Amino acid sequence: MKITREIQIDHLARIEGKAGIEVEIGEEGANAKLNVTEGPRFFEIITKGKNYDEAAAIFPRICSFCCTPHKLTPIEAIEYALDVKPSEQTKKLRELLYIGSIIESHALHLYLLVVPDYLGYPDAFAVARKEKDLVKDGVFLKDVGAEIQTVLGSRSIHPENAIVGGFGKLPSKEKMERIARMAREGLQKAMSIVKFFAEYEYPSYVNSERRHLSIKPYGGYGVYGNEIVSSDGNSFGIEEYRKNLYEDVASYSFAKRGKFLGEPYMVGAISRVFNNSRLITGKARELMDNYRKFIAPQNCFANNFAQALELVYFLERVKEIISELKDMKDEGLAEPGRMSGEGYAVTEAPRGLLIYYLNIENGIIKNADVITPTGMFLPMMEVDVAAMAEGLWEDGHRDKDFIGGKVEMVARSYDPCISCSVHVTRL
Amino acid sequence: MKIGIHGLTSCYGCQLSMAIVKRILDITDKFDIKYFYMLSSASKIEHVDVAFVEGSVSTDNDEEELRKIRENADILVAIGSCAIHGGVQGMLSNDKISYDDAFRAVYGDRKIEYNGRIARPLDKFVKVDYHLPGCPPEEDEIMYYLATFAIGSWPEERDYPVCAECIRAGNPCILIEKGEPCLGPVTVAGCDARCIKYGIPCIGCRGPVPKGAAWFDSLARVFREKGIDKEQVKERMAIFASQYEKLDEMIDKVYEG
Repeated sequence: MKITREIQIDHLARIEGKAGIEVEIGEEGANAKLNVTEGPRFFEIITKGKNYDEAAAIFPRICSFCCTPHKLTPIEAIEYALDVKPSEQTKKLRELLYIGSIIESHALHLYLLVVPDYLGYPDAFAVARKEKDLVKDGVFLKDVGAEIQTVLGSRSIHPENAIVGGFGKLPSKEKMERIARMAREGLQKAMSIVKFFAEYEYPSYVNSERRHLSIKPYGGYGVYGNEIVSSDGNSFGIEEYRKNLYEDVASYSFAKRGKFLGEPYMVGAISRVFNNSRLITGKARELMDNYRKFIAPQNCFANNFAQALELVYFLERVKEIISELKDMKDEGLAEPGRMSGEGYAVTEAPRGLLIYYLNIENGIIKNADVITPTGMFLPMMEVDVAAMAEGLWEDGHRDKDFIGGKVEMVARSYDPCISCSVHVTRL
Repeated sequence: MKIGIHGLTSCYGCQLSMAIVKRILDITDKFDIKYFYMLSSASKIEHVDVAFVEGSVSTDNDEEELRKIRENADILVAIGSCAIHGGVQGMLSNDKISYDDAFRAVYGDRKIEYNGRIARPLDKFVKVDYHLPGCPPEEDEIMYYLATFAIGSWPEERDYPVCAECIRAGNPCILIEKGEPCLGPVTVAGCDARCIKYGIPCIGCRGPVPKGAAWFDSLARVFREKGIDKEQVKERMAIFASQYEKLDEMIDKVYEG
């Protein structure tokens, strides 16, 4: 007789969007399904027929946590398609804006969504009653990221100031200096959260070999590039993404699911840090060297540590970029060289690779394809969720709530963004 | 006062806005948050004084959940463009493509166990007591709504356009001076004309001015004078408000006068 046990979490708390987990533990091991029940939103269909400026304002609505990446990445794709050449100043401002979104997203995720697990509380409100300073640090760092997006983008959720060709209005010097001060003040806090995560051993149940995909950044460690590299040495240009990143449909999910070379893979902070560790500098470098064993590519919990490390790195980078932008001048917008073309773009969103393909004809969007990090890592997350459940089961744990809680931590370590994953792909 | 903060199909930006209201700590002791699943695993749908609901109804589950929220709330507030007008995903119905065709275009012949649908705003299913517009709502508005409920009063919804705030802010008019399709005259105020301040034409993210109170007889007519045609204005307004019942009526008013 086959004995099957089920652990079901209908609605995963403390993540962005609506998803559940189902784990079946049977004689042949465990099987996990991440049910994405959030409704589909068909962004590629609703942007079809819109002019490119409007489309660039619609795409960010895919997700509030990643609205800035969902603005800057389609802008890159539009500029590629229409041969728009933004100035060096624009590129630097965009990098800063993008980094703001990573700082805000990582801070929200780590302090408000993940820390409660580590300390055994249901939410950050409960943490705040015991460890007020810890939550305050998180809120401060979140504010640094939000402030950068407000100053450069006009607001932190759905910023409208970044547009094709440049910016509507440049930030004032005073506001840029204020951001630099905030980043300086946030650095110590970010360094403490790295140390916080370094106090926890990773659960070994989820150890398994896996590929990590990230961009090969232009210049130093960063979010922009046009080539995707895999931790096993493979690489391909963004124009080749369709041949390389296969997407599948599962009956239990509105999110499409990624495979690379026929296998699940991982993207996100740990993939970036692991693939590009030699590019990490400054205080983040020192911390990384001290806590080398936490950059563990075989374990998804390393993603939380890597996010904390990125907070440190990017806060330092904020100060650098601002010092490079001392003498900003009003350059106007870079103009399109043509009105039709195909464009590709890949960037590193907080949760990993974000790909946009746009086909534009006479300024109107004809076709769009968007692949989000959550869609890419869902199959890998299921492997880890199953491994965690199976490991606990084999060690004699039978309490469904206990196993359920641990399984949720595995899912949360990936920082899944369900709204992104159900934006829904390809026409 | 007991409140619940809920999300249906959306980008979660309204909930995120509510989570990061800076001055929230000043008034949190007035509220007992019973439901905020995005932030807390200790969330349960139970009786509350006020339920805030973000997002559109895009699945059977969304509808079921919305009805349950309504049954348990004395006051229900629709927050954001998705809850009020269906949001950007509401455009699907406007794009002359059926849900089934859209589904097939994306997922092929594969089946998915859950039933998705064309996105609809909340008031197609339940009674909505108040609307808190925005994409996402502004911090001041969130505070205003919370504060009025906390003192046993109720919020008054804005019924004037972005232009009113824009003129007061002293911005040059993008519509008149550059002829760009700025939706300020027909979009409900509350954002302090942020985009125009940045030199960017309003895209109407907050939705149409309610109660027929847009500035039809003045600025809206500039659309026509500038040669921005009816279809273009309608398409642009439909980005965030495709399911607003009075959309055609509004546009006709702009172009008929």
